Amino acid sequence: MAQARGASGDKRKWIIGIGAVVVVAALVIGGVIWTISDKNKTEGQIINPGQTTSSLAGDVTQKRDGVVVTVGKAGAKASIDVYADFLCPICGQFEKTYKTDVEQAINDGKLQVRYHMVPLLNDRSDPPGYSLDSANAALAAADAGKFLQFHDALFANQPEEGKRGYDKAQLIKLGQDVGITDPAFSQTVNAGTYDQQINAAFQQIENDPKLAQDFGNGQSGFGTPTVTANGKIVSWQDPGWLAKVTG
Amino acid sequence: MVRPSQPVLDAVGTLARVGLAAVWLVSGALKLADPGQTLIAVKAYDVLPDALANVVAIALPLVELVLGLFLLAGLATRWVAGAALVLLLVLIAGIVQSWARGLSIDCGCFGGGGQVAAGQTEYPQEILRDSGFALLAVWLLARPWTRLSLDGWLARGRGNSTEPAHDYSGIAEGN
Repeated sequence: MAQARGASGDKRKWIIGIGAVVVVAALVIGGVIWTISDKNKTEGQIINPGQTTSSLAGDVTQKRDGVVVTVGKAGAKASIDVYADFLCPICGQFEKTYKTDVEQAINDGKLQVRYHMVPLLNDRSDPPGYSLDSANAALAAADAGKFLQFHDALFANQPEEGKRGYDKAQLIKLGQDVGITDPAFSQTVNAGTYDQQINAAFQQIENDPKLAQDFGNGQSGFGTPTVTANGKIVSWQDPGWLAKVTG
Repeated sequence: MVRPSQPVLDAVGTLARVGLAAVWLVSGALKLADPGQTLIAVKAYDVLPDALANVVAIALPLVELVLGLFLLAGLATRWVAGAALVLLLVLIAGIVQSWARGLSIDCGCFGGGGQVAAGQTEYPQEILRDSGFALLAVWLLARPWTRLSLDGWLARGRGNSTEPAHDYSGIAEGN
């Protein structure tokens, strides 16, 4: 009797052991596959161009000057500077919250916006480089007069930090989908034509004491998004900030 | 000196086992749920080259979940407790080195993580908490037999039917 139980106990132990190994192996393999596919879910995706800014008034101009893009009507009284990174989640939040109001003010001829693309999180995509690639592509889109459409589509379909961004081919496709026909666009995106200028501007921005914010505990520095009006930082968390700026 | 009775020690061990299992299952699941954030957290420790950080960010949540499942089931408790202790020591070492180097990061122990403002680090709390978990692992390493465990169930099948159910002397040797 004792022997029989011993034999069946050993058998049981084997079955449990093998079962555990199988379960663990399945879990690990499944986990690896899921993790990688979740991190790479932007792969092969077409960035939705959306209808977001189709209502821009005809006399709104989008002009690139160096690495800054100015959007607005001539003669707008107020102007703001927006410093943002296409990968930065809070920048995405800012765009979601205020895009309509800002673009309304632009259409009404009350506001000019100077957009600065800041590659602050360039190593925070996987593979690194999305911040710079998207900034460069946005400047290329400005050359074709389609900056805001491109900008809004990237924020509306913002990839997550730590995951895959969009590659150059996807950025080029988006450009075409927002109506860019100039072949120079894809060349500029692929060549990273503005990369150096963007990085140089970023260094200046980071070291500019006027753009440093107080994070509390005696710490200050530059962060994205930063909005300034008349050279002063605007606290955009206050819902009435835009009305104050446009007066 | 009153020596705690066997059932009391078993109960403490069982609580330690289930508690440690919960820690690993929760932290592993939170990390697995957001692979991007996990990668940022791993990178923030600034000890691994990018390629390796990527591997660790994928492997760590899965290792944690596996440890949690084994502990929950009470299978190979002593081995798993040993592995858990080693992993905890590595994680504590990671926190200590970023503290010593003056990095300002969140340990990312339960999801989240990455850089934080300099005044918002919680290194002492994080180390204290992980040390508490390490103590649970040490207990199980020293005294792995617990109630409601597969180890115990398997040991009972070893043929000595007159043994009381909670005498796990067999696995104490075997493991």
